Amino acid sequence: MKIFRNLFFISFLSVIIFSCTDVIDISVKEGVSQLSVDALINNKAETQTIKLTLTQGYFDNSAIKPALGATVFVFDQDSVAYEFKDLKKDGIYIYDAKNKPLNKIGKQYALYINYGGEEYISVSKLNRVPKIDSINYEVNKLPVKPANGPQEGFQPQFYAKDFEGEGDCYWIKAAKNNKYFSKATEIQVAYDAGFSPGSKTDGLLFILPIRTSVGRELYSDKDTLKVDVYSITQEQFFYLQFVQQVSQDGSLFSTPLANIPTNVVNRNLKSIKKAVGFFGISAVSSIETTIDKNKAKPKK
Amino acid sequence: MKKLLLFLVSLFFTWNVSAQEKFTVNGYIKDAANGEGLIGVSVYVQEVKTGTQTNPYGFYSLTLPKGTYNLVLTYVGFEKIIRQVDLTQDIKLDFELKDDSKLLQEVVISSKKADDNVKSLEMSVNKVDIKTMQKMPALLGEVDIIKSIQFLPGVTSVGEGASGFNVRGGGIDQNLVLLDEAPVYNSSHLFGFFSVFNPDAVKDVKLIKGGIPSQYGGRVSSILDVRMKEGNSKKPQFSGGIGSIFSRLTYERPFLKDKGSFIVALRRSYIDVLAKPFLNSDLRGTSFYFYDFTAKANYRVNEKNTVFLSGYFGRDTFGSDFGFNWGNATTSFRWNHVFNNKLFLNNTVFYSNYDYALQSDLKKKNDQDAFRWKSNIITYSIKPDFTYYPNTKNTITFGGQLTYYSFNPGQAVAISGGVERTIGLADKFGSESAIYIGNEQKLNSKISLQYGIRYSLYNYLGKGNAFELSASNNDGERRRIVKTTEYGWGKSIQQYGNFEPRFAANFSLGQDNSIKLSYNRLAQYIHLLSNTTASSPLDVWTPSSNNIKPQLADQFALGYFHNFSENLFETSIEVYYKDLYNQIDYVRNADLLLNPAVEADLLSGKGRAYGAEFYVKKAKGKFNGWVSYTLARTERKIEGLNQNTWFPSRIDKTHNLSVVAIYDLNKRWTFSSNFSFSTGTPASFPTNKFIWQGFALPHNYYDTRNTYRIPASHRLDFAATRQTKYGFFKRGTGEWVFSVYNVYNRRNPFSVFVRQNEKDQTKTEAVRYAVFGSVIPAVTYNFKF
Repeated sequence: MKIFRNLFFISFLSVIIFSCTDVIDISVKEGVSQLSVDALINNKAETQTIKLTLTQGYFDNSAIKPALGATVFVFDQDSVAYEFKDLKKDGIYIYDAKNKPLNKIGKQYALYINYGGEEYISVSKLNRVPKIDSINYEVNKLPVKPANGPQEGFQPQFYAKDFEGEGDCYWIKAAKNNKYFSKATEIQVAYDAGFSPGSKTDGLLFILPIRTSVGRELYSDKDTLKVDVYSITQEQFFYLQFVQQVSQDGSLFSTPLANIPTNVVNRNLKSIKKAVGFFGISAVSSIETTIDKNKAKPKK
Repeated sequence: MKKLLLFLVSLFFTWNVSAQEKFTVNGYIKDAANGEGLIGVSVYVQEVKTGTQTNPYGFYSLTLPKGTYNLVLTYVGFEKIIRQVDLTQDIKLDFELKDDSKLLQEVVISSKKADDNVKSLEMSVNKVDIKTMQKMPALLGEVDIIKSIQFLPGVTSVGEGASGFNVRGGGIDQNLVLLDEAPVYNSSHLFGFFSVFNPDAVKDVKLIKGGIPSQYGGRVSSILDVRMKEGNSKKPQFSGGIGSIFSRLTYERPFLKDKGSFIVALRRSYIDVLAKPFLNSDLRGTSFYFYDFTAKANYRVNEKNTVFLSGYFGRDTFGSDFGFNWGNATTSFRWNHVFNNKLFLNNTVFYSNYDYALQSDLKKKNDQDAFRWKSNIITYSIKPDFTYYPNTKNTITFGGQLTYYSFNPGQAVAISGGVERTIGLADKFGSESAIYIGNEQKLNSKISLQYGIRYSLYNYLGKGNAFELSASNNDGERRRIVKTTEYGWGKSIQQYGNFEPRFAANFSLGQDNSIKLSYNRLAQYIHLLSNTTASSPLDVWTPSSNNIKPQLADQFALGYFHNFSENLFETSIEVYYKDLYNQIDYVRNADLLLNPAVEADLLSGKGRAYGAEFYVKKAKGKFNGWVSYTLARTERKIEGLNQNTWFPSRIDKTHNLSVVAIYDLNKRWTFSSNFSFSTGTPASFPTNKFIWQGFALPHNYYDTRNTYRIPASHRLDFAATRQTKYGFFKRGTGEWVFSVYNVYNRRNPFSVFVRQNEKDQTKTEAVRYAVFGSVIPAVTYNFKF
């Protein structure tokens, strides 16, 4: 139910007219550099990438250093291996899935990395994803000029239904005019059709704030909107929630900073070298529409 | 523990036994201006160099050998009365004291009983009288009890604008905030900017930080005992004020041939009313206001019986389509009964409720798509308290309390596409009962003692489910539910009992100095789950269960009290040490709202707090006020956090300095100023970052907590009060209060956090967040007629 807590606090912050923020310098003791794994892959028959980099001091804003010379494989439950290669020597390991996609729904996939003499492994599962039925939109006018998008326009809503059976998780992404909303605070995840495990929304249409919030802002005639639903594991649901939480501005109601738990582990449990990051595999369903003012529903 | 018990019990039998014929003088002491009973008036018997104090209802009783005595009645801010009493039989003697503020300029500094701070057994107790609070500068000119007590030694808050207060390293839920004996669960309006108490209706405020007497229990840090006015029993009176945020109106009057009186007080914020003409049609529906209503009536049935009924209702409402509202409601009914001239009973029955609701379709009901959520905590309680005055050397208090709790941790309805689902967390229930006995005993002219014991018994009751959790790996991670057992109505799921010994002693070292020491154990059975820097109105109270153990605290305090220059200056130094057990903390990414398995997201550990408090007060004269300085530390050790080692708790502040200065220039003008300085609160910062999906994410390589501190806070406020000749319609009195908060425009950091740069999410920076980033001036007009 964090989403409601967040909505609550955002409204609260808007009423504090006296508050202010400014950027300051602080000095923090840097930790030892670690392997960072950015490995989200999907079932599409297109190039899949896994980025390996090294962690650096939090306030060190120099370019991130790639982790070079690693061996990277993904295996599926049937022991089929998919090798990811760093062709450009920039830490971006790729696998061209055009002919052999990773698309065995319901099966587990494992990640294997050998870097600097250490072996790191991780496991994920390719879960089912529902088809998106449609996107519609209605005329809307906001009371004040928003920071992004027009004040008068169309409020889109997408319709898809969660599968029967508790515990399906999704990451819903949206792009306006082919540009994805990519801020950490714009991450939209769903547990069944709702916000969290306790919400008992199994088998429902995605609930209302989710249906409209992916659009993020109002749309004008001829704008395009693309909505992608990614199936994710419950582990990834919590990981993304965590990413969102640590990316929020601190205020009266911020929670203590804690490390985001990774699902990438060193095979040698006794090794002091640990990795950070996350490995996940998703099935994707998408829909795209071009806003047509003549098809818009009138305001309720 | 057993030895201590024996010791306490044995003390009861050490009274002086004498065959001399004795008589009792008893009665009520009231304020001559409005008939309010006065709390804590000293009644001193010159001949035997001993005395007593009035109880919270203004009642006193003294039993002395037959003879003639001079009773000296003193009370700060009131004229002294000396009355000769011929004690040849039991007598009833009521007094009325006159306010001496009109004689302020000519006050002769000799009223002997101003040395109460040295003579009384109370230590770690602070009182700020309402008159002083009204003179102190306040945020937006709004007199605030909670904000005022934060200038006292040992009292802090996590930052400006945070709700509640912290006492000697305790959390905000560890304070028992009582309004006419009923607990108030959330003491703030507008998240934490203002407190829920209407200053016009408050008579007395007492904060007990240590040496807590046995009649109090249920929280481990402190007691904030707020007593409401009873209402003017002499004449009808209107009072009120027009401020920048609130307007206040209070009406009080006697009724039924002056045998009773009542008071009603209302406050409402009016930003919304003022802003309305400037909003466009869509925003016009936005409601944003808070109000509170306080009422109390008392009726003196006869010489022996008085009844009181008091109530409070307050609410914050805020939102348009998506809206929230929250608030407290309390009702207490009290019956004072004088059995005989030595035995006094106050019996309280109260109801207290705190609830909140969030709704997505506040303005217009939507049957297709909506979300509605509510939560509450309700308490019913009965509490008889007896006071027995056997002789001048002993005052015995005994009684008990029976409390029933009902918790609704969250009930929500989600409607999506016309399909309705109830997301119900089952209600939880608990009962807490306690019995206690205590004695205040004057051993001789040098030593007085206060000792007692309280036994509290708690039951976590059905109907409900008891969860058995997987073993903790001490890794700070969420646990799993391995077994769920269902319990029927009223069945005890888990029971806890605790003996809570209390002890305090005063060793007099002469006329104007003394040493005091105290020990107390306290138990707390209900807990506020809050993992945020400041507590929010959405935080949920939860009962102790088979997984959540009651919190316990042991506190030792030692103090030296010394008055100088004929009690013109009161000074004290106190040191304290506190051990806290079964403190609650939270797993990473804990989900505390609408989570049926919330117990699996909790961690448990120890706490300790220690410090020294220095206090100098000039209580009298044109120029008065105080300086308080606290050097303190509060730490926690929680399995699964900070590598299982001690770390400073989020409310830890090493240095705290407060200065309150009031200057009564003449009958028309009063000037006042506050200054406060405090060390920044601890913070955790990441040591490293990594880029994942384009986000720069923080990582703490050492996985430590609260190793850094945010910059220190300091602030100066100023106020000037001008009395006008008349109030409204040339009647009564009026005053203008001009105040400036944060005079030198300091941006005090509430928190320092790290973030991704808005434009380039792979870049990172540290940001200071200040709740008040500007000078805040305000004007308030108060009247009385």
